[in-house]
Amino acid sequence: MNEAATPWQKARRLLVTVGPGALWLTVFVLVPSLLILLASLLSRSSTGSLAPPWGLHNYVRFFTEPLFWEIVGRSLWIGWWATVLTVLMGYPLAFYIAAHRYKQVLLLLVVIPFFTNFLIRVYAWIILLQREGAVNAVITAFGLPPADLFPSTFAVYLATVYTFLPFLVLPLYAAVERIDWSQLEAAYDLGATPVRGFWEAIFPQTLPGLFAGFLLTFIPAVGTFVIADLLGGGKITLIGNLIQQQFTSAQNWAFGAAVSMILMVMVLLGLWLYARTQGERGLDELV
Amino acid sequence: MKKWLALLVLIPLLTACPKQGASELRVYNWSDYMPEEVIKGFEEREKVKVVLDTYDDPEAMISKLEAGGDTEYDLIIVSDYLIGQLARKGTIRELDKSKIPNLANLGPEFANPAFDPESKHSVVYQWGTTGLVYREDLVKGPVDSWAVLFDPAKSVGSFLLLTEMREQMGAALRYLGESVNTTDPAVLEKVKGLLIDAKRRSQGFAGGTDAVQQVLGGNAAVAVAYSGDAFRAMEENDKVKYVIPAEGGTRWTDSLAVLSKSPNAELAYKFINYLLEPEVAAQVSNGIGYGTPVPAALPMIEAKDNPVIYPPAEVQQKLEFLADLGPDLDAFNAVWAEVKAR
Amino acid sequence: MPVKRLLAAYSWLVFAFLYLPIAVIVVLSFNESRFGVNWTGFSLKWYEALLENRRIGEYLGNTLVVAFTSTLVSTVLGTLLAMGIVRYRFRLRSFLRYLLYVPVVVPDVVMGISLLLLFDTVRDGIGWPRLSLFTIILAHISFQIAYVTLVVRARLMLLDPALEEAARDLGADNWRTFWEVTLPLTWPGVVSGALLAFSLSLDDFVVTFFTSGSGSTTLPLYIYGKVKTGITPEIHALSTLMVGATILILALGALFWRRR
Repeated sequence: MNEAATPWQKARRLLVTVGPGALWLTVFVLVPSLLILLASLLSRSSTGSLAPPWGLHNYVRFFTEPLFWEIVGRSLWIGWWATVLTVLMGYPLAFYIAAHRYKQVLLLLVVIPFFTNFLIRVYAWIILLQREGAVNAVITAFGLPPADLFPSTFAVYLATVYTFLPFLVLPLYAAVERIDWSQLEAAYDLGATPVRGFWEAIFPQTLPGLFAGFLLTFIPAVGTFVIADLLGGGKITLIGNLIQQQFTSAQNWAFGAAVSMILMVMVLLGLWLYARTQGERGLDELV
Repeated sequence: MKKWLALLVLIPLLTACPKQGASELRVYNWSDYMPEEVIKGFEEREKVKVVLDTYDDPEAMISKLEAGGDTEYDLIIVSDYLIGQLARKGTIRELDKSKIPNLANLGPEFANPAFDPESKHSVVYQWGTTGLVYREDLVKGPVDSWAVLFDPAKSVGSFLLLTEMREQMGAALRYLGESVNTTDPAVLEKVKGLLIDAKRRSQGFAGGTDAVQQVLGGNAAVAVAYSGDAFRAMEENDKVKYVIPAEGGTRWTDSLAVLSKSPNAELAYKFINYLLEPEVAAQVSNGIGYGTPVPAALPMIEAKDNPVIYPPAEVQQKLEFLADLGPDLDAFNAVWAEVKAR
Repeated sequence: MPVKRLLAAYSWLVFAFLYLPIAVIVVLSFNESRFGVNWTGFSLKWYEALLENRRIGEYLGNTLVVAFTSTLVSTVLGTLLAMGIVRYRFRLRSFLRYLLYVPVVVPDVVMGISLLLLFDTVRDGIGWPRLSLFTIILAHISFQIAYVTLVVRARLMLLDPALEEAARDLGADNWRTFWEVTLPLTWPGVVSGALLAFSLSLDDFVVTFFTSGSGSTTLPLYIYGKVKTGITPEIHALSTLMVGATILILALGALFWRRR
């Protein structure tokens, strides 16, 4: 950035900022990923361990069985809608927190529920939603018949939104807090309606935060399965289940590794394509 | 400021470094699946320390041992049907029986179980059965057969299936009049059909304690469940009942095994021997509420007359162990994957 | 302004949604019933059981050591990484940008097993590190770092580099520019990232499971391990105390703030 910087200064700055993090990611993320890639090219031995022959057979298996495509489609579908619901819930909340006098306190209030254990929170939802549970007690008090809230797809969405809300709100808050509100006034001065003013002056400023939050919600939501298992009655198989099963009960690490490589490539390719198509608008940097 | 930060990082990192004593027994088990006083008793007698670590999913635990975690523990407590696999892979060692004189205390049915002939690699720790748990006030008919799950005409209300593959497939096999260890492809094909149909009509799958909790909460009238969980639910609500269907079911065990790379195998043998003492075995069963494999402990056990934990002899005859299927397990896996995904 | 009121009402509804399960947990911690399905009477017995449990304190301690240490390291590394990525152009920059998403995408079980294989290979070679809290911390930092970087980066992208230039033109060296200009402006992003990292560590089960060794059981490992015998309201009592303590510290902090 600084034009006066010598190559040596530039290298030193890079070494201090990017260096440690990049080294960490290389050792603990890149190397293990390569291990997974290698494993995905192996086979399963008769005792259930990794063994030669090498080949692409695990990938062939995945792409030739329609069952797996069904699972991928279902995972993307559920992940997408859960993320949309999370955005609807979290976007206004980020604005409210950022504008509040005690914003630090409110921000902590968002994460405190997550200091309790995940499993305990999920069980609390089950207790609320079950047939003889609290929500149905309220419903029947109004003289209505009890609803089948659990196990259900509704319960899965509810708990997924619940679980990932902070993943959306926290990055979004960091961006909203920085909004330059004078741009909104300028838009008003130019005769914009409130809706238009928001859309053209405020919304673009939230994009980096929204995009980060969206991805931090969407990507894990596609890969998660414990929520679907517990609240959906274990009837819904998602890609996360498939991978988990291969590494545990099915004892086929090679195939599990291949499926996780496919999941990884799918997401990274999606991001790359997005960046490519957005290039001219400068939005590729969001990725 | 910089020094201050470095200190803040270093102190916890240093305390995080392991300190391991030579006189330490490291046990890998479910949480709260061994009473504290039993552990304390051993610690005081042998002047050693017992370190307890916990897992939730036996199959994930095996994956961890395989990926390099097997030098971390001496003794594992694991479900019966996994013993064969662990033995074949050499993860657990063949027991040196001369170091466990109390093996003679085991009941005859536990000394030579189908999953581990002659108890070569494992010693039964606790046992139970798999059957149907139901709420008397929610079922619309008699619950005495696996048909309440598999025959729509005999359904008595909403029901839950068990997440454990071998147990749930075993139930379907018994319903068909087959052994729970049948690997005949034609029979397994039938099992697949039965389970897919049952899954569609069911409230879904649930693990042992989940299933019982859902029956208590009225989400399902019937569920496939383990005897120990059913026993505790019955204490909570007297409308809850447990039955082993007329076709019979499985008798499962959790067994003790010593890891091949155990750093302290001598102590592990001593501990197994200790657990087989009648007084200690009674303490274990009184503490966690499952069946003991040591008959001499029975007189000291509070629940010895409870048919849920200790079914009458004629029912026990209809119980089967889940055998180690070796490579044939793949056929089960394939059926199960289909059932779960459809 | 009605929009503002509407926003406030909506936001507090979302907060209510967030705390509804917590309310259930608090109520159940005082319930006599073991399964907590129905209310059978008020009781403090689960708090007593919690006090008598000689292991739970150790597990909580392990969990907190891991959470604080890993959050501290990952927040520092992640913030610096975000600054470098936003401010400078260098070779492999876009590769690094995509690499950041890998810990977010990779399923927990795969991350856990691959890290365990890595630790095991290294230990076979140089006899270190043994599986322990230390390896759990290494593993947690590895996924936290991605979350922190992505959150901080979202904030940095909104900052005008001209501000830093101005500071340098006024004679501030790199270090001073960082402490007095860049960091204060980035702070909300750093705090958000750290909070996210902390709650991720506190709650992680699968990666912790694979990278833990004997004697390094954490609270989530203990709680999940109770599937065999059933989760008792003891854990609800513990959760109630933890949430209560956090809110108390928060309230005291807020009071202190106001005084100043």
